[in-house]
Amino acid sequence: METITPHHFLALSALLFAIGFLGVVIRRNLMLVLMSLELMLNGINLALVSFSRVGLNLDGGLFVFFIMTVAAAEVAVGLALLVALYKKRQSVFSENLNLLSN
Amino acid sequence: MEIIAFSVLLLPLLSSFVTLIFLRKHGNIASLLSVATAGGILVFSCYLIFNGGNNTFAWDATWLKLADWELRFGFLIDGPSRLLLFVVAFVGFLIHLFSLGYMADDSAKARYFGGLSIFMFSMLGITLADNLIMIFVFWELVGFSSYLLIAHYFSTEEAANASQKAFIVNRVGDFGFLIGIVLTYWTFGTVNIAELADLVDFDSTMISTGLCLALACGFIGKSAQFPLHVWLPDAMAGPTPVSALIHAATMVAAGIFLLVRIDFLFTTEALSLLAYLGAAMGLYAGFCALVQRDIKKILAYSTLSQLGYMAAAFGLGMPGLAMFHLMTHAFFKALMFLGSGAVIHACHHEQDIFNYGGLRKKMPLTAFTFLIGVLAISGVNFLSGYFSKDAILLTAYNSSLPIFVILYLGALLTSFYMFRLYFITFEGSPRSKESKAAVEVTSLMVGPLIILALLSVLGGYHQLFPFSIVGFVLDDLQSVAEMPNHLWMIVLGTFAWIAGSIAAKLVYSGSPSDDPLSEKSPAFFNLCSSKLFFDEIYGFYVKRIQDPFARFVEVMELLFISGLMVRGAAGCAGLFALLGKICYNGKIHAYGFWFILGTIGFIAYAAGLFGEF
Repeated sequence: METITPHHFLALSALLFAIGFLGVVIRRNLMLVLMSLELMLNGINLALVSFSRVGLNLDGGLFVFFIMTVAAAEVAVGLALLVALYKKRQSVFSENLNLLSN
Repeated sequence: MEIIAFSVLLLPLLSSFVTLIFLRKHGNIASLLSVATAGGILVFSCYLIFNGGNNTFAWDATWLKLADWELRFGFLIDGPSRLLLFVVAFVGFLIHLFSLGYMADDSAKARYFGGLSIFMFSMLGITLADNLIMIFVFWELVGFSSYLLIAHYFSTEEAANASQKAFIVNRVGDFGFLIGIVLTYWTFGTVNIAELADLVDFDSTMISTGLCLALACGFIGKSAQFPLHVWLPDAMAGPTPVSALIHAATMVAAGIFLLVRIDFLFTTEALSLLAYLGAAMGLYAGFCALVQRDIKKILAYSTLSQLGYMAAAFGLGMPGLAMFHLMTHAFFKALMFLGSGAVIHACHHEQDIFNYGGLRKKMPLTAFTFLIGVLAISGVNFLSGYFSKDAILLTAYNSSLPIFVILYLGALLTSFYMFRLYFITFEGSPRSKESKAAVEVTSLMVGPLIILALLSVLGGYHQLFPFSIVGFVLDDLQSVAEMPNHLWMIVLGTFAWIAGSIAAKLVYSGSPSDDPLSEKSPAFFNLCSSKLFFDEIYGFYVKRIQDPFARFVEVMELLFISGLMVRGAAGCAGLFALLGKICYNGKIHAYGFWFILGTIGFIAYAAGLFGEF
């Protein structure tokens, strides 16, 4: 039976990050973009946790708490912005938000 | 004393400013103000001339200071400057008076008299200046006022072109003058005339032919000598009193004055070059004057020829004689110009002498005074021109025969064309309705004519003038008096004017409506009319060489400076902007993509993925 090594964690975190990245770049619905951003952050978190475990100290874990706090704040602000946006423009699709492009 | 010098200098400037600001619409007040100013100048000048006795008065102060280089503003009132001051103030005042009558019904009187005041300011500046840079500043100012006054009738194309021509041709000469000033400063470390004189006195090896010829370029431009003489005849498009004041009596004579001021800088070679140049001009202008039909152009060429005499006198080492001739010439030439002005005024701006005729009976005073001017310039014995011109001829006779021959031929021609002018204009019978209807001009115009006529008769007797005025010329007159061959010269001089007048009487008697010379010897007539093609040569040069070169430079400029450099730099920035604009498409995904890509790039760089630094 194969053991789960830190490499697996890192691979998973890279995968999560990549999925998140693609989500940010490809998705048009800002709700999903926001969720993809969270996914990217969580991918990073996973990597940090695994580094913490490998290094046998709490540095990485500490970092994760900060990131989760920031992510929670970010989601709160982001969702509030989205709601306000929807109220104003009746749309949360990014292609409609190009007022500054011309 | 410097207070008086400042007053005499600033009075006309003030008058022209007042005219410019308050009196533009009040021609009559402006003209009276200007004449009053000229009167004031005359009074102050007399004070300047007589108060200092025969001493040289020098005063200066710092004008501006740039690091350790200092430009000084000062006055130097010595012999030549007293003489010129007298001529400028006195003749200038008479011409102002005459202008009152001549310009009485001109619509732009204020501009005219304001211009005259500016001119007086500039001319007095040249007269009083004590260093070359100051002379240069006022030199340009007289050029400017000459431009202004030539273009008085600017609605006519002739006047507009003539003013530009005068201005541009003068720039050519002044460029040489400027180079000369820079060279002077380089060589001597000063431009103050008195200091220069001391330096040259101390070490006479410092002077060089190139330096003084560069300075003489200023004279050649301003005094309209060969090869820059082409502007003066055209400048006759201005009002006639202007021609009398600027283009006969004072401004063109300023060139001679400049030479006299810096005569210690001249080498023997430069002097003999100037002598030949002047003598040649005397003869050449005589031939040109011979076939002109315009009364003012005849006088203009005659001025050129007399300036040539002055240059020749200077070149022969007699600056005093040059100044003496300058003074007598100012009298009789101003007289003749004003006389021609009176004739033109009476004939309603008809200037072709073949449309005059018989004016002696209609304008007896003008004709009589004009005749005195003609006699004086022809060198009739015991009139003013006789003393100054024959002194120059005698000097030439005793020192350089070729110059004498040229000058003597010029003298023959002078009396010939002057009597031609007189006979055609004043004798015979009227040939146009203007000259039939001519009447004597007002006393305001005749008055200056009579005073100038008196001076033309008596101006040669230097004993009549106060020593302060003519003190400078006495030395040279004394040395002329001691020369041999006096009797011979008197015979030759008398022969010149008698032969000239008789020849003119023979050719131009009767009442020709066209130039009889053109029938008698057409080849000679055409040669003289061509004026040796100077205008054509310059025109050709400008059109075929200068203009194409200018166009070439323009293309180069368009191509390289404004094209490659200016447009190129802007184009590069624009290209980057275009690239940036492509990225800036308003798609939030794209921004996110670039942002993250950039971040990854930075991290990769920080991790040393692109190699160690």
